[in-house]
Amino acid sequence: MNWINWLNTFFTAPARQSGPDSIAHRVGEHLVLSGQGLLYAAVLAIPLGLLIGYTGRGAVAVTALTGVARALPTLGLVTLAVLIAGVGDTAILLPLVALAAPPLLVATVEGIRGTDPELRDAALGTGLTHRQVLFQVCLPLALPALLAGLRTAAVQVIATATVAAYVGLGGLGRYVIDGLATRDFAATLGGALLVVLLAVATQLLFAVLIRYALPRGVRAQRAAAVETGRSS
Amino acid sequence: MDGEPLVRWYWIGDHLAYLRDLTLDHAVIALVPVLIALLIAVPLGLACVRFPRLYHPLSAVFNVVYALPSLAVFVVLIPYTGLATRATVMVPLTFYALAVLLPTTVDGLRSVPDSVRQAATAMGYGPWHRLSAVELPAAVPYLVAGLRVAAVSSISLAAVGALIGRGGLGYLFIDGFQRTFPTPIVSGIVLVAALALVTDLLLVLARRLLAPWAVRAGAAR
Amino acid sequence: MIRFDGAAKRHPDGTIAVEGLDLDIPAGRTTVLVGPSGCGKTTILRMVNRMVEPTAGRVLLDGTDVAELPAAKLRRGIGYVIQQAGLFPHRRVIDNIATVPYLLGWDRKKARARAAELLELVGLAPELAKRYPFQLSGGQQQRVGVARALAADPPVLLMDEPFSAVDPVVRAGLQDELLRLQSELNKTVLFVTHDIEEAVRLGDQVVVLREHGHIAQLSDPHTLLTEPADDGVAAFLGRDRGLRGLGLLPARDIAVRPLTDGTRQGGWELRLDAGGRPTGWVEPGLHAQPRPAPAFHPGVDTLRTALDAAILSPAGAAVALDKDGRATGIATREAILAALTGPQPAASKPDSPKPDDPKAGSPNPDSPEGQDERPVNSHGR
Repeated sequence: MNWINWLNTFFTAPARQSGPDSIAHRVGEHLVLSGQGLLYAAVLAIPLGLLIGYTGRGAVAVTALTGVARALPTLGLVTLAVLIAGVGDTAILLPLVALAAPPLLVATVEGIRGTDPELRDAALGTGLTHRQVLFQVCLPLALPALLAGLRTAAVQVIATATVAAYVGLGGLGRYVIDGLATRDFAATLGGALLVVLLAVATQLLFAVLIRYALPRGVRAQRAAAVETGRSS
Repeated sequence: MDGEPLVRWYWIGDHLAYLRDLTLDHAVIALVPVLIALLIAVPLGLACVRFPRLYHPLSAVFNVVYALPSLAVFVVLIPYTGLATRATVMVPLTFYALAVLLPTTVDGLRSVPDSVRQAATAMGYGPWHRLSAVELPAAVPYLVAGLRVAAVSSISLAAVGALIGRGGLGYLFIDGFQRTFPTPIVSGIVLVAALALVTDLLLVLARRLLAPWAVRAGAAR
Repeated sequence: MIRFDGAAKRHPDGTIAVEGLDLDIPAGRTTVLVGPSGCGKTTILRMVNRMVEPTAGRVLLDGTDVAELPAAKLRRGIGYVIQQAGLFPHRRVIDNIATVPYLLGWDRKKARARAAELLELVGLAPELAKRYPFQLSGGQQQRVGVARALAADPPVLLMDEPFSAVDPVVRAGLQDELLRLQSELNKTVLFVTHDIEEAVRLGDQVVVLREHGHIAQLSDPHTLLTEPADDGVAAFLGRDRGLRGLGLLPARDIAVRPLTDGTRQGGWELRLDAGGRPTGWVEPGLHAQPRPAPAFHPGVDTLRTALDAAILSPAGAAVALDKDGRATGIATREAILAALTGPQPAASKPDSPKPDDPKAGSPNPDSPEGQDERPVNSHGR
């Protein structure tokens, strides 16, 4: 057997074309699971990050928290969550958010804190309220850092969602886990390839976003890449 | 999991030697790749600074590699390195660590102010000599900062290897899950986190020793 | 008018930035706070728009304690210019200038029209409106910063070392521009600098500060240069402060002899064309070619230009011109030097000036040279 045979076997099997084990369905599951995780992480981390970044209070705690979160093993969190809360989307959201929120939080905090203090001073002195300074000046300028954080978080949820198949959830990890269990290497490798493609597509999407979705004046400034690390 | 507590202490007491062996195995699987990555990152980083055209494509490739879910990469390697071997887990971990270490090495090497660089050249340093005598020491705090991120990530990533049969402490998660017995899982999470934090602490100490002039620079990630 | 009434700022860690400051900033004039770093000058400036809240005392703006006004509303009525311009990098120049009009709820069109007016007022080309700040030079950015501060036509302008980050040539241009603007707009300007030359050049009133915001001297620039209150101030002014006045003091201070008192000077006669413009100096009786007549503009030039003209002139005197180039009078070298040195010799040195009286320390009107030798309003800029 070689790669071509494996992939041929995998992609041409009837079960891949339609039904619950079809590629379209598994990709959909993976996207929904990852999207949910990213959404909840964003809803949690971005407002909190804006607040901490702007006031500067709790920034040290955020750094410590991120260090700890980076050290947490994905598989351990996923299995523990399911043992405690039972198989289901709610149980899996916990580890998804727990692993995706910290890098996003730290990126948001650093992005806001990284805005030039002179600029904030000028904005306040010109008569902007604190809320206006945060949303009209700091937030647009922190967008590159924020998008970088979102990208790290997306990488993290896609990886966690793959591992989540082990505890019985859907998504592309299903092929990998089931293939390993039944010694069906065609399925394992096909699934792995699809995960790789999804991850690369997500990276491309963010590369495009970062390239084009920023205000021109911001794009000109060098985006401070916030390296936050990941664990899955 | 009805009525089963999160931790049954007797189990831990009964399996101390087992936990120790898993922890050591885990440390080897996770940290040897980081060391190998360091040995590659320094010469590669020097080459990237000396020949800047090299850096852009390399960093683009590593950016993509870094984003690939570990389980998928482990699996893709099975045909070459075999199921449940250390190499299947350690090769990808080396690449992940390299993806973190190469940019930090290059940033560190480039952190030397132009004036210092020119002064060194004016005093008669050649390009390679200057890189090793002036720029490399300046990069140490950056390298340590990169090592901290790479090592901690590597330790938590290695656990995923359990899914293909070689994940050190990660095996505790499989074991606990299959038996609906949370104690090994909790022990595994705590040990992975503890191993990560101890490694991090050692690296911070190493920076104090290696680069006592840069107490603050380590914050520059 | 701005009045500091025992205003003090003590930091939470106990260090004192400013200690019991009493100071009046007259309306419609430029007051410059100057002193070494750490003297509290920026803190004093920032008390006016509540960027710093005094820990004791009050700051009154037209009789109202600024602490009683909502901070954002107060600041929208006070122009604020800082060192690096502080422009918003994500907004175009035109929208940067229109910041305060937008905040005040003006509609977009009106705000932008106003911003375009200001762009012109600060001497920038209209096509810069669409640019982003990073596409401008440092000097241009600073002009945009001034335009932004003026956008809502605030009566008060606070300027915190606005020109210290640009090179000397650009700085001189910006200073000229500010003098020109101020002659048109008559804002109440409070200007902070560590550069004594800038202080003397721009200020109607200069406040030299020591540590903790103590006032070492408060006077007009002329008096400051000629009669420093003590050795400390003299040292701060520098060793060549006597000569330095040449390049700083305005030529309008020179006692120019009007042409109506005659066109002769030291054996030479000034010839004028039909429009009243000088054509040159001639020696009466000799039919030689007229010699050039170096001239200066009292309203624009400094004493240095005037003295240079006088030295180059065969008659030993410079010709004063109005803005159309017509001769208005003749300034001898002696008259120019008199403007530099002030009344000589000082009959009685005035006591050190009282902080709350901007007139304190001005040249003594009873000096031997007398009133008629001196310009009536030496600092009515």
